[in-house]
Amino acid sequence: MSGRDSVRLVARREIVERGTEKAFVVSTIVSLVVIACVAVLPNLLGIGGKDEYTVAVVDRSMQPIADAAVRAADAFDADVTLGGDDPDATLAGGGVRAQEKPDDKLVEILQAANARVRSAAALRDAGLGDREAADALSPPALRVTTVEPVNEAAEERGGFAFIAVLLLYGQLIGMGYFVAMGVVEEKSSRVVELLLSTLRPRHLLTGKIVGLGLLGLGQLLLLGVVGLAAAGVSGALDVDGDVLVAAGLALVWFTVGYAFYAAAFACAASLVSRQEDLQSVISPLSIVLMVGFFVSFGVAADPDGTLAKVTSYIPPVAPMTMPPRIALGEASTVEIVGALAVTLGATALLVPLAARIYSGAVLRTGGTIKLRDAWRAAQA
Amino acid sequence: MLELDGLSRRYGDLVALDDLTFAVAPGRMRGFVGPNGAGKTTAMRIVLGVLEPDAGRVRWNGADVDAAIRARFGYMPEERGLYQKMRVRDQLVYFARLHGMGAVGAAAAADRWIERLGLGDRAGDRVEALSLGNQQRVQLAIALVHAPEVLVLDEPFSGLDPVGVDVMSGVLRERADAGVPVMFSSHQLELVERLCEDVAIVNQGKLVASGPVAELRERGRGGVEQVRVRVEGDGDGRWLAAVPGAELAETGPRGLLVRLPPGAHPDALLDAARAAGTVTHFSLERPTLAELFRAAVAA
Repeated sequence: MSGRDSVRLVARREIVERGTEKAFVVSTIVSLVVIACVAVLPNLLGIGGKDEYTVAVVDRSMQPIADAAVRAADAFDADVTLGGDDPDATLAGGGVRAQEKPDDKLVEILQAANARVRSAAALRDAGLGDREAADALSPPALRVTTVEPVNEAAEERGGFAFIAVLLLYGQLIGMGYFVAMGVVEEKSSRVVELLLSTLRPRHLLTGKIVGLGLLGLGQLLLLGVVGLAAAGVSGALDVDGDVLVAAGLALVWFTVGYAFYAAAFACAASLVSRQEDLQSVISPLSIVLMVGFFVSFGVAADPDGTLAKVTSYIPPVAPMTMPPRIALGEASTVEIVGALAVTLGATALLVPLAARIYSGAVLRTGGTIKLRDAWRAAQA
Repeated sequence: MLELDGLSRRYGDLVALDDLTFAVAPGRMRGFVGPNGAGKTTAMRIVLGVLEPDAGRVRWNGADVDAAIRARFGYMPEERGLYQKMRVRDQLVYFARLHGMGAVGAAAAADRWIERLGLGDRAGDRVEALSLGNQQRVQLAIALVHAPEVLVLDEPFSGLDPVGVDVMSGVLRERADAGVPVMFSSHQLELVERLCEDVAIVNQGKLVASGPVAELRERGRGGVEQVRVRVEGDGDGRWLAAVPGAELAETGPRGLLVRLPPGAHPDALLDAARAAGTVTHFSLERPTLAELFRAAVAA
């Protein structure tokens, strides 16, 4: 049997056995529900859209101020409606009354409306006509120009980038753990000796990584499709070509990042023989992943900054810092290709090293094996 | 013919195998015995390609063993190992396929061995739900599922109850009778003596005795004939005086153990015994494998 056949058989076993595990199925369903909720809920709960206020008028003389507030609200990215049983503010006695401290924004809107109404009255008293008064109060707005093009969809893209990073991090660490647990399972149950009497260590390793990778990629694809569909339908995100490209590239980054981390997790896990000892060899890798996760928030906040540019070329964190930059439209094609090439190159270097350590360590049991001993024991 | 030719292997300063050479012939069972740490497991791992030898080679029918040939070997490691969470039948099919069988053939073979080893009602269970005895049966089934041309088993009898021992012996005998060379290690020397045509004894990585069991036992008496004889009513064997050169080696409830000088024929002893009374037992004693083992290992 060829190496490729061995790899395919091992990969298929991983997909079937892990994919039908109750824990895996349940976690997939829970993730799907969570992501659908995250995509739909903000709209249902009214989070993220315009602020909405209700204003009641008790003092009839203040009606013009209320009307002006309704007209001015749009400039504050808010909606003001009059009336209501439980108004956010009431215009009465020449001032604003409220049950509790009203939103600063609402107060600003009302102050602006008040200023406008009183200024108009003052201008009319000074002998200006209605038209002249209105012109004086509505000077042409200052024009805002930027050096960088303005991305109108930046805010909703921010949410998209955040979810993408969250998913990537969760998926990388989750599948990395699956690989590590699988390696230790074979070691602790000693089934590995039987396996190695029929195939080479690197074929076993490759099959395991490929199988779990396909499983992880499929799960991520499912989550992505459901999440984007839910966000698109609910109107939380305008799912255009850019978004789809960014989502597709996030899958590419998962694949590359997974290859990197899976090799590292497998190599670390092969050093121990019991699940109880796994945590100690895995935690350095988990920490690196977590650092990448947190750095990616800084990157998302300033996707064009130095941190963003530098971390895109650091292989262990690039899979988490590049996707938000792409989602926010702040990574050039050259940067994307360059960062991918660097991470792929690092992975290509890491995999044979990891495979050699795995080969040297996987048949040795008892305690935690030193990296150097595993390296020497390997039959290169 | 499976040949182990000059196998050597070191672990650091420890010599695990030192120029180990012997062969396992088709249709014959070869017991592989030696004290703990003698190198048996190392040798078997090398045969299966799990370990590389520092020197030496393994040949099957004259050809150096490679991965393609090894796929036709069956192996039971000393450290039993199964996927605990995998179902019995799935596991058998998986290993059959790793040995190169097609999907249909693998499924049929798995079902056949499940029936043969009495695992029929457990085929869909996860291995972890099985008793230890049944897990051993699954382990044996995995060694056999791909109809191997060679069987190598490391301590196949350890941990088996008497019924399990019978099942295992029966299956191994059947495979050997079908022309498969069978090699297994064991500390149960009576079992090896009973089952195996050939034996190889190793000590500290070196082969100290090898050959057909019967021949080794015959040779082991060193020309001296020992006879176990029991005569009714006789306790002390005073009648032995009538046999020239006969020497009383041991008395006990099983009768007398008499040592005859080289060249002496047991007939004279039997005649003397019959003259002394009714003979209830008369047998030519050969050293047991256990005795040969102790002598070989002590040397």
